[in-house]
Amino acid sequence: MTPGVTRYVDVASRFQARDATTPAWLQRVRQEGLAHFARLGLPTTRDEAWKYTNLSPIADGAFAPVVTAGSTAELSSVVARLALPGPRLVFVDGRLSPELSSVAGLPRGLTLKPLRDALVEDGALLEAELGQRALAAEQAFTALNAALLEDGAVLRLAPGALSEVPVQLIFLTRGDAPVLASPRILVVAGAGSEATLVETYASATGVSGQGFTNAVTEVTLGDNASLKHYRLQSEGDAAVHVGGLHVRQGRDSRFVSHNFAFGGVLARNEVNVTFAGEGGDATLNGLYVGRGTQHLDQRTALDHAVPRCTSRELYKGVLDDRARGTFHGLVKVRQDAQRTDSRQQNRNLLLSEHAQADTRPQLEILADDVKCAHGAVVGRLDAQALFYLRSRGIPRAEAERLLTYAFARELVDAVPEGPVRASVEGLLAPRLPGAPRTEVTA
Amino acid sequence: MALLSVRNLHARVGDKDILKGIDLEVGAGEVHAIMGPNGSGKSTLASVLAGRDAYEVTKGEVLLDGKPLLELAPEARAAEGVFLAFQYPVEIPGVGNLHFLRTALNAQRRVKGLEELDAMDFLQMAKEKSKLVQLDAAFMNRSVNEGFSGGEKKRNEIFQMAVLEPRLAILDETDSGLDIDALRTVAGGVNGLRSPQRAMVVITHYQRLLDYIVPDKVHVMAGGRIIRSGGRELALELEEKGYGWLGLQDGKAAATKGGEARR
Repeated sequence: MTPGVTRYVDVASRFQARDATTPAWLQRVRQEGLAHFARLGLPTTRDEAWKYTNLSPIADGAFAPVVTAGSTAELSSVVARLALPGPRLVFVDGRLSPELSSVAGLPRGLTLKPLRDALVEDGALLEAELGQRALAAEQAFTALNAALLEDGAVLRLAPGALSEVPVQLIFLTRGDAPVLASPRILVVAGAGSEATLVETYASATGVSGQGFTNAVTEVTLGDNASLKHYRLQSEGDAAVHVGGLHVRQGRDSRFVSHNFAFGGVLARNEVNVTFAGEGGDATLNGLYVGRGTQHLDQRTALDHAVPRCTSRELYKGVLDDRARGTFHGLVKVRQDAQRTDSRQQNRNLLLSEHAQADTRPQLEILADDVKCAHGAVVGRLDAQALFYLRSRGIPRAEAERLLTYAFARELVDAVPEGPVRASVEGLLAPRLPGAPRTEVTA
Repeated sequence: MALLSVRNLHARVGDKDILKGIDLEVGAGEVHAIMGPNGSGKSTLASVLAGRDAYEVTKGEVLLDGKPLLELAPEARAAEGVFLAFQYPVEIPGVGNLHFLRTALNAQRRVKGLEELDAMDFLQMAKEKSKLVQLDAAFMNRSVNEGFSGGEKKRNEIFQMAVLEPRLAILDETDSGLDIDALRTVAGGVNGLRSPQRAMVVITHYQRLLDYIVPDKVHVMAGGRIIRSGGRELALELEEKGYGWLGLQDGKAAATKGGEARR
């Protein structure tokens, strides 16, 4: 073990030892997580899955969890800025803040609970579901998250429950200390249910905060269930963010992921979707916008394990200054997965000479009756379009901003009009100044 | 003083000389046509005037109302009143036509020290101007030129010209790719914008356009120079006798008459 890994192991051991009343099953989950983490250690660039991403900002083991959120009243204005209308749970430095949370207006058929309550009240469900999608044995960060399992949320949808109101989880880091936050989110959607879940990650100190967030979300969609999932990651530019979203889709279920990665000096986001029933439909949208020395790493894996499923994937990156973006998208079509229909695209826009994008679409197709397409582009602003705008009197810098936003907005416009889109626009505006303040319509 | 003075203009792209000494004076209120076979340098002249940086000016000068133009960036030229109607208008997905045009107009107004137009006032004005070329409101809200037909793109160019009210309008093969109805609409729009304060340079391969936009003067370009200037009758004579009459080769044009080959 590296000294850094040893430090995280010590921290997690102390965390586990502090409460002797923990139910046995939960103790086991945590202990196994810790054992896997100790065995796996932190990945290095020699690991294929981490080839482009150097974890040195967290490698020395300097981050540790806090025990409670402490007094959070002073953060209410920050929360008000980020909050959507509807029920929400708010976490500060990884710990639940009851005073900032509000589950009023939760639609019928939906249950939203802080994980720490569910661990006590719904032990049987959690024992059965936790760690089923996100495998601690396979990934160090998932293991570390399991070792520190305590806060997060459980969202349950009764069969047939329909919710138009988004459920929001806000994860704030104060940004003034090297805090390790390890939220775990569990979504279990019954047959025919429909809901929207928004995870918002931000620094209370705006764009300058530090901290290490290691979040894991597990989603199980029943037959014909539908979930729109948003991940709005706009942490401080000194923060480290690792996120994993693991989804299992039942028959005829629909899953849409909108993944916005704007913050962090180092941010890694994984989306893993497995089709477990025929007729499933998954859309993975992603937009990563980096500047300065930000490193934004996206990794997606779609497992077409059964026939007749459809996946659509569009990830775009906008990289300025010395920022680096990476995209690795795996589409796996297993032998039995006939009539799979899959499209994947990754497009990157480099705004400076020193910005960098690495893109690796990867198709593994073992079935023969499939439609699969993929494409990857790394480019710069179109010189023809730039001249066209300037020839009409638009100054160069403004024309560049217009074209940059034009590139990015496809992913913003993919969000249905309403409060969630407004929230995305609000988080994007300070990072991509080309975003128009008001649109003119005839 | 001429509104536009081009004096001994030389330009090249890479190491290829394309303009080899252009002299041209266009007065306020005048419409000049520049004709010529493919490869004569007509479109290069248009691009150089608008400031496209693919071309290097090696000699000569261009004055707009007596002020040197060539040292200005494209956006500064636009603010001085230069407008180029593109031969191939660029499609810009994700930038709304009206948002683009309001941004352009307000950028020009800022340079001129005028107050910017707000969205409502601009919309009012744009709707009025769009009637000139019968551009449907649906097009105004779409992305710039995206998915527009050839005729719609050209109408959109003239619509932009109507909104921006340039001092000098350069129309680069605005007739290419248009059927007769679209040509009439576009020409009608251009004629509606003729004004004693404005000069126009109409670049075309075919005399047909000049039936609808009647020029005050016609210049024939070949080999990077203006080799003949005259009145409107020069265009008619050229149409009748072909470019061969002036000793010019224009094989490509003859082969694709009615629809000039794309570059």
